[in-house]
Amino acid sequence: MIKAGTAHWLLHDVKNRGLTAWLLSVLLTAFYLVLYFTEWFTPPARAIGLDSKWTLYGLLYTLAVTAGGLWVIRKYRHNRYQIVRTSVVIFVQATFAFSIPHLLKFLHQPEYYFSYLWPLKMDYLTPSYIFSLPLPFILYSFLGSALMVPLFAAFFGKRWYCSWICGCGGLANTFGEPWRHLSDKSSTSWKIEKITIHTVLGTSLLLTALLFISWGAGKSHPELARFTTGFQSFYGLIVSSMLAGVVGVGLYPLGGTRLWCRFFCPMAALLGLVQKFGRYRITVKENMCISCGMCSKYCEMGIDVRSYAQAGKSFTRASCVGCGLCAEVCPRGVLRLENKSHRDPQESILIQIQPAPSARPLI
Amino acid sequence: MHYVIIGNGVSGITAALTLRQRDARARITVISGEGDYFISRTALMYAYMDRMNLRDLEPFERKTYDKQRIDRVRAWVRDLDASRHLLRLADGRELTYDKLLLATGSVPNRFDWPGLSDVKEGAVHFVSLQHLAECERLTPSTKQAVVVGGGLIGVELVECLVHHGVEVDFLVRESWYWPMALAREEGDIIAGHIRAHGVRLHLEHEVTAVTAAPSGRVAGVRTNHGLDLPCQMLGICIGVRPATDWLKEVATPPAIGRGIRVNPSFQTPLPDVYAAGDCAEFTRPDGSPQVEQIWYAAKRQGEQAARAMLGDAVEYRPPLFYNSAKFFEIEYTTVGDVTRLPDDARSFFHRLPGPHASIRLIERNGAVIGFNMLGSRWDHTFFERWIAERRSMADVVPQLHLAQFDVEFGRAHLESARVAFAEYQRRNGLQAA
Repeated sequence: MIKAGTAHWLLHDVKNRGLTAWLLSVLLTAFYLVLYFTEWFTPPARAIGLDSKWTLYGLLYTLAVTAGGLWVIRKYRHNRYQIVRTSVVIFVQATFAFSIPHLLKFLHQPEYYFSYLWPLKMDYLTPSYIFSLPLPFILYSFLGSALMVPLFAAFFGKRWYCSWICGCGGLANTFGEPWRHLSDKSSTSWKIEKITIHTVLGTSLLLTALLFISWGAGKSHPELARFTTGFQSFYGLIVSSMLAGVVGVGLYPLGGTRLWCRFFCPMAALLGLVQKFGRYRITVKENMCISCGMCSKYCEMGIDVRSYAQAGKSFTRASCVGCGLCAEVCPRGVLRLENKSHRDPQESILIQIQPAPSARPLI
Repeated sequence: MHYVIIGNGVSGITAALTLRQRDARARITVISGEGDYFISRTALMYAYMDRMNLRDLEPFERKTYDKQRIDRVRAWVRDLDASRHLLRLADGRELTYDKLLLATGSVPNRFDWPGLSDVKEGAVHFVSLQHLAECERLTPSTKQAVVVGGGLIGVELVECLVHHGVEVDFLVRESWYWPMALAREEGDIIAGHIRAHGVRLHLEHEVTAVTAAPSGRVAGVRTNHGLDLPCQMLGICIGVRPATDWLKEVATPPAIGRGIRVNPSFQTPLPDVYAAGDCAEFTRPDGSPQVEQIWYAAKRQGEQAARAMLGDAVEYRPPLFYNSAKFFEIEYTTVGDVTRLPDDARSFFHRLPGPHASIRLIERNGAVIGFNMLGSRWDHTFFERWIAERRSMADVVPQLHLAQFDVEFGRAHLESARVAFAEYQRRNGLQAA
């Protein structure tokens, strides 16, 4: 039941798809539409001395992540994983995703975001753009996507990116915290998610392939170059602007905070595939789950964690971003995020425990 | 074959799913008067505190029951005629079965305090969906509440009331909090934590009388120390007992002691009638009755009772006791025997650095028999194993870190425990490890 009082009613309403949630959603969506498709934010940006509306957006984004992050750190102050993770999220947003790119620009270098990588940031493997940058940026782009992304995901799961580094995940886990429970937990939504996210991944791979082919052979095949340019702007409009921005953040108060990450992000899809075969998993303590469902309720990716916990099955789901909230809200401490390589008790017991000198046979 | 299960709690539903797993063709019917779908009773508090919706309490998607072809009947059962394999429901319907499982769970205990019979409204329990609805209805008109009974349900109800800004007086009969499960030191830690949440915890207080307002709403209680506590809600959380009252008036009652008496194959003396979960009473080797009223046991029993109904040779032996819980923010894990110990048992207690963390190990005849851990997370399966292997405390203490289950970066520091244990050994004239 809702706590008595107007403030509590409001809090419940905005967190549970009430009227205020719809209003907020309309506002956020409108904000993104105005940002992407008009120049209305340019004058206010100039007025406070910023060079463009995008810098203003970056500033607002960083403020939202910082304020939300500080609140999240306070809320989960008894949980060191949450403190460390959220601090990193704020730090990365303030540096790699905001001040460093602007510093680079000030130093007459390209405005480069080290925290974004292909295929989330398509530009960074778009030959006509990336080869125009100085060599270190080219190397970072290629090695980052080809080596760092899969390697880290294999060892730590996709969480190293999705809930520690990425700006989309960063906003979801800070500013978006009040709406994390709104994700759909049904098995139907899981089926849909698998189709949509891999469709976007396939599209992004196809586009990248076309961009390279047209970069190499575009001069002799102008119709291919035209098609690729058209495809590129279509992808930019639908995926980068509409799905990542308008839908991804605009629908926070209605559909939860990870709609983009769960249903559309090509980076998450790629990391998820690696994660499935990597070392990361959620370990479930045997026979300790009471099926309360707090883990499922507060899973922002819509994973029905309870179905694994009550069956006593440790698991790895491709979509899990490793935010660790399932383990945090569990009243019986049933869940634990683990990387297999790090020999946690589950494995090490077999090696470390020798028969005790006092051990006697069981009666 | 038609299997009928009375009760859609964890025991009944686990049994139904196990039956379906093994028998694809049988007809399976689950009857419940409480609700249409299996819910997690343990999560009632989260619904009360608005952290979950009622629908979130359902551990399975609703379509599971159709997929598994489990028929659900919403009704209270009034009569059982085992000679005719017949059930009669409160709405007049009749239902025949081939095999019947009684999984009716528990009902809250009530004590007949003077004046309680005059109370028509405001005396609540916190065990069922109906209780939750009643609590939610009364909370807005409640400024002060008294909760009686220092167990888990009591502290959960207290937490919910505190959440809603109700002033709570919490009456505990014993001289520290929950002596059934906690030693004095742990009881004191929890008591301090409960008080830090603004709850007035009264130890060694019992209700001697209850008063009602002219409207019939509870108005206050008086305690054995003469304390008069005004309240508009009285939470009665003095334990639960098997739900067997309805069976006393049926055509063919099963044998009833504390619960429904069953043999190790979950069979009652009635033909084709089984019982499992909170309502089932087993007999220990020494002849004393044993009722397991805990989630994990009900689940385990439901699964094994289904196997017995399918014809497997089942010899149920309640395993080593374990449990976990959360008192406001303090997490708690226990395995084996930690209270009501024999005289020759030794206890090692140590407070870990950090606000509420502590460990306790119990040893008897050179073997650990119990663990009681507060304020950090542990994997109970390690404790079970160490107890089964009859390891000594000196052997277990240096290996405790293996059983830690804290979040990453948040592992409790155990160095001080090793130092304290060496001191404990010296004090007790034991050889240092």
